[in-house]
Amino acid sequence: MASIIARDLGMQFQQRQLFSGANLHFAEGDCIYLMGDNGSGKTTLMKILAGLQTPSSGSVSAEGFATKKLWQKNTLNGCAVYLHQHPYLYDGTVKDNLKLALELAPADSAGSAIAEALELAKLGHLAKSQASHLSGGERQRLAIARAWLLKPRLLMLDEPVSNMDKESRELVLAMTARLKADGTGLLIASHQHGQLTALCTSRWLIQDGRIATNLDIRFTPSQETHYVLAN
Amino acid sequence: MNEGWFALIQQALGLLFSLDKDVWSIIWVSFGVSLAALLITLLPSVLLGFVLAFTQFRGRNFVLNLVQTLQSIPTVVIGLLVYLLLSRMGPLGDLRWLFTQKGMILGQMLICAPVLIAMSQAAFTSADRRAWETALTLGASLPRAIMMVCRELRGPLLLAVIAAFSRIVTEVGCSMMVGGNIEYVTRNIPTAIALETSKGDFAQAIALGLVLLFLAIIMNFALGSLRGKNQVRSH
Repeated sequence: MASIIARDLGMQFQQRQLFSGANLHFAEGDCIYLMGDNGSGKTTLMKILAGLQTPSSGSVSAEGFATKKLWQKNTLNGCAVYLHQHPYLYDGTVKDNLKLALELAPADSAGSAIAEALELAKLGHLAKSQASHLSGGERQRLAIARAWLLKPRLLMLDEPVSNMDKESRELVLAMTARLKADGTGLLIASHQHGQLTALCTSRWLIQDGRIATNLDIRFTPSQETHYVLAN
Repeated sequence: MNEGWFALIQQALGLLFSLDKDVWSIIWVSFGVSLAALLITLLPSVLLGFVLAFTQFRGRNFVLNLVQTLQSIPTVVIGLLVYLLLSRMGPLGDLRWLFTQKGMILGQMLICAPVLIAMSQAAFTSADRRAWETALTLGASLPRAIMMVCRELRGPLLLAVIAAFSRIVTEVGCSMMVGGNIEYVTRNIPTAIALETSKGDFAQAIALGLVLLFLAIIMNFALGSLRGKNQVRSH
């Protein structure tokens, strides 16, 4: 089973300690709701697990993944795919962005997967549109569809439904549910405890410089997450 | 100058369109040397620009300041430096590159590289870091991720290439000192223009000047069309 394991993980920016001493295990089949106040380090933690940022202390390793390609910058890159809160789409059409992912996807990916991804994201009618012309919700759906083409075994979504209308939220929920059903391990950071985070089966909480893991998913938002409602 | 402007331009065009051997030999030397210098320098310079923009290391500011300084050094000073390096007493004297096209290429590489490094570093600094992170997290190898970011920045990077090429194809000082302005061997457009003007042979000088003018128009229009397609992105 593919997993990312962090041992004694710590991160600080100059004098500011975000978290320390964290031992984390994120595996295929997990669906984890990552909570924490603004600036607590949710995005930083996800980037560390994706191999995009180097932790100040501790180590992160990937297990159960195929041997990395030569010239890979970090062995973690491509193991747990990270999606930015505002996803970056490359210059070109919607289809171009999906083609790009297909080029990076495992060799057994079929060419017809692009049509399937467009259908999944309900972006078929926009296939030839410039990606830069998409709305926020459409951009997020395209980014998830692009990640889906890679058949990720672990996927991290950073605030995937923030500032999204109901229709887009529901589509992102459907796409995420599909990924979960496919067995993809999901780590979802969200300020909005709603249908999306309801998919999760466990919870991580970054608070007071510590990361609490394996918390019960049943919690009372009013007691623990005032910031959720405030946001 | 007794001849009228019109007659001179007519003569100049005649030299170009009649494929005058002298004129076209100068053009080929010029383009051959400058393109070779540009092609040799391009990849390492762009990669160094990328490293300077995307990484932090001890001495980074020193390298940046050095590159900026090299950009502003007059070409004749670079010519002098290369001359001293390649002269018989110099450390590279055994190569016997003085007054050869190889020597000119070396000189033009030293002029070209700082422009390419500085301008590509500025282009990469203006890039959206998410483009780089997205490429890596999607599993792109390091060269592929760099290519993906370069594709996003093709406008500013092409501008860097055009600026670097313009600087070397038009410089006189270094080519004159290192190349020696030898006919059919190291005589390029700028050194020929300087020579022919001093001799009073304005027709050939104008013909060669027109080539540079035509080149500038083509390069800038090519860049303009590329810029036209690139729209301001909201994200």
